[in-house]
Amino acid sequence: MNKIIYMDNNATTSVAPEAFEAMKPFLTDQYFNPSSMYEAARRPAHAIAAARATIAACLGGVLPDEIVFTGCATESNNMAIFGAIRANRGRRHIITTAVEHPSVLEVCREAAREGCEVTFIGVNQQGEIDITEFIRALRPDTLLVTIMHANNETGVIFPVAELARLTKETDPGILFHTDATQTVGKLDVDLKGELSQVDMLSFSGHKLHAPKGVGSLFLRRGTACRPFLCGGHQERGLRAGTENVGHIVALAKACELAMAARADETRVAALRDRLQAQLCERIPWLEVNGAGAQRLPNTLNLACHSIEGEAILYQLDEYGICASSGSACTSGSLDPSHVLKAMKVPFTAMHGSVRFSLSRYTTAAEVDTLIEVFPGIVTRLRRLSPYWDAAAGRPQEGHS
Amino acid sequence: MAWEYSEKTKQLFMDAVHGKPGTHMGEIENADGLGEHGSLSCGDAMRFTFRVERHPDDPLQDQIVEARYLTFGCTSAIAASEALCMMIEAQKRSPIEALKITNADIVTFLGGLPEQKVHCSVMGAEALEAAVFNWAQKRGVDLKALGVDVHADEVDEGRVVCKCFSMTEPYIRRKVQELGLKTIPEITNAIKAGGACMACHHKPGGLQDILNDIWGTPETRLKEAAELSGVGISGDAPSPYQLGRHVDQVMESEILPMLRKDGGDAEIVDIKDFAVYVRLAGACAGCAGAMTTLKLLVEKTLKEQIDERIRVVAVGR
Repeated sequence: MNKIIYMDNNATTSVAPEAFEAMKPFLTDQYFNPSSMYEAARRPAHAIAAARATIAACLGGVLPDEIVFTGCATESNNMAIFGAIRANRGRRHIITTAVEHPSVLEVCREAAREGCEVTFIGVNQQGEIDITEFIRALRPDTLLVTIMHANNETGVIFPVAELARLTKETDPGILFHTDATQTVGKLDVDLKGELSQVDMLSFSGHKLHAPKGVGSLFLRRGTACRPFLCGGHQERGLRAGTENVGHIVALAKACELAMAARADETRVAALRDRLQAQLCERIPWLEVNGAGAQRLPNTLNLACHSIEGEAILYQLDEYGICASSGSACTSGSLDPSHVLKAMKVPFTAMHGSVRFSLSRYTTAAEVDTLIEVFPGIVTRLRRLSPYWDAAAGRPQEGHS
Repeated sequence: MAWEYSEKTKQLFMDAVHGKPGTHMGEIENADGLGEHGSLSCGDAMRFTFRVERHPDDPLQDQIVEARYLTFGCTSAIAASEALCMMIEAQKRSPIEALKITNADIVTFLGGLPEQKVHCSVMGAEALEAAVFNWAQKRGVDLKALGVDVHADEVDEGRVVCKCFSMTEPYIRRKVQELGLKTIPEITNAIKAGGACMACHHKPGGLQDILNDIWGTPETRLKEAAELSGVGISGDAPSPYQLGRHVDQVMESEILPMLRKDGGDAEIVDIKDFAVYVRLAGACAGCAGAMTTLKLLVEKTLKEQIDERIRVVAVGR
């Protein structure tokens, strides 16, 4: 097996060595339950308090008790949506988008089964939201708006600050939630500044070099939201269950590291831009999904006409390169990506989609290897494809 | 999902992709049999061709000597295509005997396939069947008379429209009329047809064609509805609200001329209660200070001219 070249950081990330070091004591000798009374339990309790303060500072200097620790972003999203519904029985309308992560999309569908009405806002071919459509969706009985900060598949960034402002100017009683799983650690997430109208914000640890199994929900003071997990006083009764101390400490460390590494962002963006430019130059009929929109600096979603994504991934795997695809064959459901479908990416390109997502640990040499091997992979698969006209070097007539 | 492919599947895929000698990628020119299955929207498709050694007197004794494929699809789709060609060439059967190769045989040859990937082997078997049918037509062989059960989808009577759920045209037509189904989603909801690969939605003879045939094209239906209700068709129906009209009037007569004088412009996005959503554009759109000033100006004018309760919400983009 070759050395792994990891280009799938929107799926999960490697754990930063510093974060791993920080959590270790709490998995070994500092195992005490932070709720216990004896002296020994004070250190884990203090560690949680310190972690909370660190994360509050990283999110623009919010109050530490506005940070609720959860098990993952999926749990945070569930809590935000179901919690908002349960705390606001008088209203029953929810607005979201067609391109949310399943942990929002499916939860909204579940809410619809329980009597809520949900409006799914569409996107254009660049993956951008239509503000006019959004405004028209706002209703007197709207209870919650939940719209992601950036899309995990395409990296397209939504104007969450503007959407939150429009929501609150329409009716301060409408709650605004955003799933910021792809942006915390990558973009400025300033809940005191630009995002001061956002009531709830979810993110997870394992997308920013903390381990899997920890996430957080920012819950602005005064926001009406019921707990999702009941049965304990932890997290001020908002999230019951003995705290996952080590992971919480690692999450705080990872946030701190991400803030310190923000200067490195231009380097990551430059690598991504070079990858994009080089591949587009070397491969005909290659498109960048969301190219015209504002995107995360680390994400590149490509559409390779006339071939299928799973076969691409399989060949990349032979080189030790890890990436992902929106093709039907990789989803386990025989259905291609709901995001690319909502963007009306043509079928030929949708099934041939590949996502590369970089991190601050990605090296220029790794990007070079990818630039070297990827064109050959595409060429070989196109030779096999009935939809590719090899002589003309383009998709068969009528199949582009 | 991680790969759960057999060694054989992986091997055939890599051999095919790298064009190893002895693999079967390609298309036979002037093939004796050509069959296709799948579509771009399904995410996999195969074009299968074979060449026979013709028997001088009896076409039934033709022998398949060469098989080739072009496949759009995943790892297992390509491996299954390769497997099919290998099996056929090795067996040197007549086309009718080749029909005995089932998708289960392909799966066995591959050393098993993950459950979600079994459709890849079905694709191979279907393409083979279509190719044999094509050969029979060319050679004047009456498959029906021989009692060979070739899929009814190539036969006019009872033509299968939705292959995923095996639904024929007569059945769909009957249901569309019985249940008064007017759109493709209505058909899908009622009888499932068109609900999986969606290839049959808009292809010739597909669901939309059936709908158009029964109910007329969407445009003619719109016209009929308009004539019935006595309204003309226009893109911009006037706002049903008094307030909306009033706001439009004041915008046109007072506010826009004022803004345009300075190279600005504005557009009403929506009106809810007394909240008027205005998108400010033109020379001042980029400047936050100018935006605030303009917002206040528009708001003041609307309040004075129409209703004190009006407030303006500026839309940034």
